[in-house]
Amino acid sequence: MAALARALNALALAGVCGVMLFAFYWQIVRGELPCPLCLLQRAALLGAGLGLALNVRFGASESHYGVVIVSSLAGAAFAVRQILLHIVPDTGAYGSALLGYHLYTWALVAFVVLIAFAGVMLFIEAQFVEGVHALRPTAAAQALGWLFVLIVLANAVSTLLECGFGPCPDNPTGYELLQK
Amino acid sequence: MISLPIALPFVVLVLAALAAALGLRRTSVLVWVAAAALMLYSFAGHVTDPLRIAL
Repeated sequence: MAALARALNALALAGVCGVMLFAFYWQIVRGELPCPLCLLQRAALLGAGLGLALNVRFGASESHYGVVIVSSLAGAAFAVRQILLHIVPDTGAYGSALLGYHLYTWALVAFVVLIAFAGVMLFIEAQFVEGVHALRPTAAAQALGWLFVLIVLANAVSTLLECGFGPCPDNPTGYELLQK
Repeated sequence: MISLPIALPFVVLVLAALAAALGLRRTSVLVWVAAAALMLYSFAGHVTDPLRIAL
């Protein structure tokens, strides 16, 4: 059961990595820079990814699922705030839509799915029997873990380039550190 | 309210992810707590702007 839980966590972590890579595609190829609330949603998604990565690396633990749930709750709050900012028709929106919904709406969906995933996984009590310990990760799990580290690092560098050492403007138009 | 660099939570998350990858489980969780606190602090600065929703 522990192996199944680990595989499901690895799958979810791959999903988080995929979403973050897609966000980079949106930012770099389409040229749509993330706003401050978008950045906070990214950070929350990375926090949830960290909980999943801990489950993959060390085995399942309630506290790791706690990291996923708390990060996702925070991310959902950031996304709801942004949805409410643009909820009135004809008051504009931030960025372009994907399949009819803006990225902050999709972010809310992703956070709700992550909370549901962690909630359902917590029912599998057998995964906690072995306890946490530094498992010898498979090559695939190790590669996924380092890919996650690289994605977090890329986000930190990108945010530094975009916003510099201060808060970001509400509608960023360029990379602040590259313009100086 | 002092405005923190929005990149700060990301930098702290890098440390948490690195700690996890290097086998430091408890350190990683503790550093994540710091990152989460920074995220919420940054968000608190944003929610003071009133919503413009006509109810």
